[in-house]
Amino acid sequence: MLQLLRLVSLRHLSLSPLRTVLTIMGVAVGVATLIGIAAINRAVMGAFRSTIDTIAGKADLSISAGQAGFPEDVLEKVSKLPGVQHAAGSITVVAPVKGTPGERLYVMGVDLLDDGFFRNYEGADRDVGHMSDDLEFLNSTDRMLVSERFAASHGLKAGGTFQLVTPTGTQDFIVHGLLKETGPIKAFGGLVGVMYIGSAQVAFTRERMLDRIDVGVDPKVGTDAVKEALQAALGVQYEVARPDRRGQSTETMVRSFQLGLNLGSSVALLVGVFLVYNTVAIGVVQRRREIGVLRALGATKRRIRALFALEAVVLGALGSLLGIPLGTLLAKGTVSAVSDSISSIYVQVNATSVTFTPFEMIVGVALGIGGSLFAALRPAFVASQVQPVEALRKDMASGAANVSSFATIVGALLIAGVWPATRIPAPIENFPVGGYLAMFFILMGTTLLSPLVLRVLQRVYQRPGELALGVPGRLAADNFARAPARTAVPVSALAIGVAMTVCIAGFVGSFQKSSEKWIDQSVPADLFVTSSSKVAGVQNVPLKPEFGDPIEQMPEVAAVDRLRIYQHDLLGLRIFIVSLNPDIYNLHGKPEVREGRLPTHEMRQQGYVTISENLSRRRNLHPESTFEMDTPTGRRSYKVSGVITDYTSDQGTVFMDRKIFVAQFNDDRVDNFEIYLKDPKTTEQVRDRINAQWKDEYDLFVLSNQELRQEAYALVDNAFSVTYAMEFLAVILALLGVINTLLAAVLDRTREIGLLRAVGAARKHIVRLFAGEAALIGLTGGVIGSLSGYVLGYIVTKVVGVEATGWDFAYIFPLKLAVQMLLAATACAIIAGLYPARRASRLDVVEALAYE
Amino acid sequence: MITVSNAVRVYKRGKTEVRALSLESLVVPTGQFLSVMGASGSGKSTLLNLLGALDVPTSGTITIEGREISRLPDDELSAFRRDRLGFIFQFFNLLPTLTAVENVILPALLSGKSRSDMEPKAHALLEQVGLKGRDTHRPDELSGGEMQRVAVARALLTEPALLLADEPTGNLDSKTGAEVLKLIRDATRARNLTVVMVTHDPKAAEVGDRIVRLADGKVVGDELTRSAAA
Ligand SMILES: Nc1ncnc2c1ncn2[C@@H]1O[C@H](COP(=O)(O)OP(=O)(O)O)[C@@H](O)[C@H]1O
Ligand SMILES: [Mg+2]
Repeated sequence: MLQLLRLVSLRHLSLSPLRTVLTIMGVAVGVATLIGIAAINRAVMGAFRSTIDTIAGKADLSISAGQAGFPEDVLEKVSKLPGVQHAAGSITVVAPVKGTPGERLYVMGVDLLDDGFFRNYEGADRDVGHMSDDLEFLNSTDRMLVSERFAASHGLKAGGTFQLVTPTGTQDFIVHGLLKETGPIKAFGGLVGVMYIGSAQVAFTRERMLDRIDVGVDPKVGTDAVKEALQAALGVQYEVARPDRRGQSTETMVRSFQLGLNLGSSVALLVGVFLVYNTVAIGVVQRRREIGVLRALGATKRRIRALFALEAVVLGALGSLLGIPLGTLLAKGTVSAVSDSISSIYVQVNATSVTFTPFEMIVGVALGIGGSLFAALRPAFVASQVQPVEALRKDMASGAANVSSFATIVGALLIAGVWPATRIPAPIENFPVGGYLAMFFILMGTTLLSPLVLRVLQRVYQRPGELALGVPGRLAADNFARAPARTAVPVSALAIGVAMTVCIAGFVGSFQKSSEKWIDQSVPADLFVTSSSKVAGVQNVPLKPEFGDPIEQMPEVAAVDRLRIYQHDLLGLRIFIVSLNPDIYNLHGKPEVREGRLPTHEMRQQGYVTISENLSRRRNLHPESTFEMDTPTGRRSYKVSGVITDYTSDQGTVFMDRKIFVAQFNDDRVDNFEIYLKDPKTTEQVRDRINAQWKDEYDLFVLSNQELRQEAYALVDNAFSVTYAMEFLAVILALLGVINTLLAAVLDRTREIGLLRAVGAARKHIVRLFAGEAALIGLTGGVIGSLSGYVLGYIVTKVVGVEATGWDFAYIFPLKLAVQMLLAATACAIIAGLYPARRASRLDVVEALAYE
Repeated sequence: MITVSNAVRVYKRGKTEVRALSLESLVVPTGQFLSVMGASGSGKSTLLNLLGALDVPTSGTITIEGREISRLPDDELSAFRRDRLGFIFQFFNLLPTLTAVENVILPALLSGKSRSDMEPKAHALLEQVGLKGRDTHRPDELSGGEMQRVAVARALLTEPALLLADEPTGNLDSKTGAEVLKLIRDATRARNLTVVMVTHDPKAAEVGDRIVRLADGKVVGDELTRSAAA
């Protein structure tokens, strides 16, 4: 068998080196995106996890109570509880580093004496053990031990200063010492600072508050017993959990985002597998006579099948092996983009490095090889059907080949199955199996139907082809459908790339359109002031409410609404609580009320709140529904008054009166100062004044309504940038398929080219013939892609999106982009076709005529 | 009139050179039907390729109707082929996706003439070559003889100066072959068209006016046929 492979296949592959290389590249890129994305997803989740884990250290249990934290006297209560051997309280702040936009330092406020039990700090330049009684360290509010990594990247030594943005503005900090990157210092990508807890509380205005208490349990009592005792003693609003259980709601939340990325990478691999099919199928057609000879010499059908399958495996293996280094590069290049996206939408992570596990690599290679093998099944079967007598046949290229009716029937059935598939309910939250299945059906269905479509389009293209390019155009239309099974491959590959791009653009565009309308109606303020981030949410530094006072006093300002946008766990979701002043807001905002009504002042006092549409859908909450939420002041019950359209968070939003929020959550900080002006014309003036006075000190971002809108746009665009990039790769791969197919067509039709040249076709006619065919491949791929992209976009918006986000917004087809993609696909296909076309036109006429 | 003088065609295959053709002089008067014979490898196809402007001589000149074609750029050679020459090959003469009519008008379409102008003429020619009613058939619906007739019609369409045929009947049975040969002779004679035909078959060669015999790329015999002598 191996002899045969060497003799027959490898010689063939090396005779068409370009096609072989293109195919291997195709598989490589597919495998690369697959393992690259898997590694990125793991890196991001790993960064999140490892921050939790490395911080947890040797703690058996840890106690927390949401973002606002809890009073520090709880620590005393905890320490006294039987079964608790050790307890250490701490706060953590992710503080923006002044001067390097986007960089953040993970600051831990700890008591080194207590904390040493759980975590090991290792000084790089001095012994940390002494630190717990180093008065200079304990008595200052600005001394910090920083990781060597942070120090090195800022050129800091002990005694050096740097600035962080705090709720009271930019502050200077002094490097008290350097810490080795071990234990907890590995958290957050190694950008960590450690302060004495009392100092950190002051520096970050968290006086007398803790975020977490780590507990060491007396093994004689047992972790479970202590956990129960703690929970009972502290109340339900405290989360008492083993460290490894923490952060699960966050992981669920990020899952749908990562699922989208995985989907994108699967599409790239799918297109890669298409290329293998393409190459093997072409090989079978071109070697019919050779196969005939082998059969005549006694090779069995099984042997022929095995030969072609083996050939595909060799291509797949080479591609997969190449895919590993390529995937490494890809992952390294995009991990920070993904990390930034997740940081701006869900949770602050700092994933900068990626690692690859053998498992992922094996899976990637297995999928590359397995996919290639799968792709070879049909061509291998076709090859085994070649009769020995064909060895003798003098092949004349035929005018038409048949379209497989089996493929057509299966294709039609798949398309028919799309609608039922969308009805399948999601088995797990954020995992809309039915929607993904429907998408797969569409992609596979159109692929199987495309040979038939090519046949039909041939007639459509003949006239316009001849009008545009003369006879070569007409012949291009004919040739386009002459080997429908072969030409359908690059057409489908292009169609898939275009479809996915159009689909994502459709979803993103529809979302942006709806959120624009939402900002129009529901976010009416003239200026938005946040610290350290353009939009309030995950990454900004909350400020003290008094910051708004001088702004309120400005003569142009009508009112300042103080919003807290607070991430909190509710019913297994990590939602946002948006608290604002209804008296100001209701004067200007007209939120779209979908159900019920906005609560009155009296209703608000009775616990009525407004919730977002997606929270309503995800947790089946409607007007008069009640739900419970744990607050720092105990578990409370709320009632839904109204359901409104809101795009703050894909997890859900609860709107509360700021006064009530402050009382219930013990947190009066402000994420977003929303300024209403008496006259919108003074926007720039007011903005300039605020910037001049506080921008530097507070690292402020002052956005106009228009700019906020653009930010919202950009946020969504960024979130999908990597997915876009992958679809782009898929389109490039498909273009390789165009080259592949046309090169084979040139070989097949050499004699025909010679004849055309003999009866007077000039080189330019031959170029037009093949470039024309390429154009038709591109155009057809673009048309099929746009149409299926339309349906895919609808499914993503109305099925997958609704399941993954709870949002149900109007689907708008990105017509302009679809047309652009269609034209671009055509133009790129022509460019891809130019090389084969040129090759065809340069054929020596005499030799071409003598061919076969 | 066709004039070949001192035409040499040398093929380089690696280090060795093959002198495929070296003709001191060959003149074919307008309207003559010339048959070229010779053993395999004697240079027949090479001569035909040079006359057909498919290839250029390594040295020497070839003039067809006063036009020197041995040093023309590719574009002009192509234009010359479609306007002034007609080709009939042994097999695979037609494009499989085109109908008979479309195959016939192909050279005209390539020179930018309009379909509607050329189609009536093509229908008339197809009728003349005996293919009435088969105009819209595609090659796979035609027999070998019929395909060659379509090729003849195509060769005649542009009213060329010279018709070149490389074993046009080599793939046909003798009866059909004879019919096709007669068709070529009658059609070209009526139009006073010059024909150069390569053949292995002495009987086929006799259909023409003159027979040139080649060996090792040189003329070793040149005689008028009985029909011409008569
Ligand atoms: N493309 C080529 N490269 C090298 N040698 C060639 C080529 N074409 C023809 N020849 C050689 O030129 C000689 C004449 O060939 P050809 O004109 O095809 O002969 P015929 O048609 O009479 O059989 C032969 O020896 C042949 O091997
Ligand atoms: Mg020959």
